[in-house]
Amino acid sequence: MRKGHRKPGVHTRIALQQFRKVFLIQVVSLVIIAGVLLLHSLSAAWSSLCGGLIFLLPGYVFVYRALVVQQTKSTPGAVIRQLYTSEIWKMGLSIALFIAVFILIQPLNPFSLFGTYIWLQLTGFIAQLRLNNSFLKL
Amino acid sequence: MEMALLYIAGALMMGLGAVGAAVGIGILGGKFLEGAARQPELIPLLRTQFFIVMGLVDAVPMIGVGLGLYVLFAVA
Repeated sequence: MRKGHRKPGVHTRIALQQFRKVFLIQVVSLVIIAGVLLLHSLSAAWSSLCGGLIFLLPGYVFVYRALVVQQTKSTPGAVIRQLYTSEIWKMGLSIALFIAVFILIQPLNPFSLFGTYIWLQLTGFIAQLRLNNSFLKL
Repeated sequence: MEMALLYIAGALMMGLGAVGAAVGIGILGGKFLEGAARQPELIPLLRTQFFIVMGLVDAVPMIGVGLGLYVLFAVA
């Protein structure tokens, strides 16, 4: 085990399992959406793929930094610091990817890009709420 | 004039999205600290719940940020 890392706890392992399921659902739905849009036009399919990657890559980085890289201390301050740092990385990466896509990809279909992005968000919401029973008790 | 309006629109979208995310994540962090101070043994459970809800809170503001960036970089 690397220095500064420790074995993840039970709750972290459960959260990672849930994330893997949600991530798989999102990847499959992204592939299906891109395949359907490929029948319409190449730029729409390419834009939807870009929208999906803009959503999935920062999400993966966030989970990796927040859950996989475990700190040696688990005081409330350390936990808050780690999660806020992960969130900043996620937001920064999302913004950088959005800017890169808008500058580099031409022609771009904004409706399929944002449609796929929003659809993956909704898929994540629904899958997360269904997998996490404690939210359903609220 | 139209360009100026586009820039203002993009700035408003990103700014209001940032305000929403900041308020939501700030409240979330405060509640986490309150819960951890009350019951320190629940920190691992609170941590995973915090992680899940953080992912839900920042989703909608990021759509606003994306639309604002689209207005700034692709439309304007």
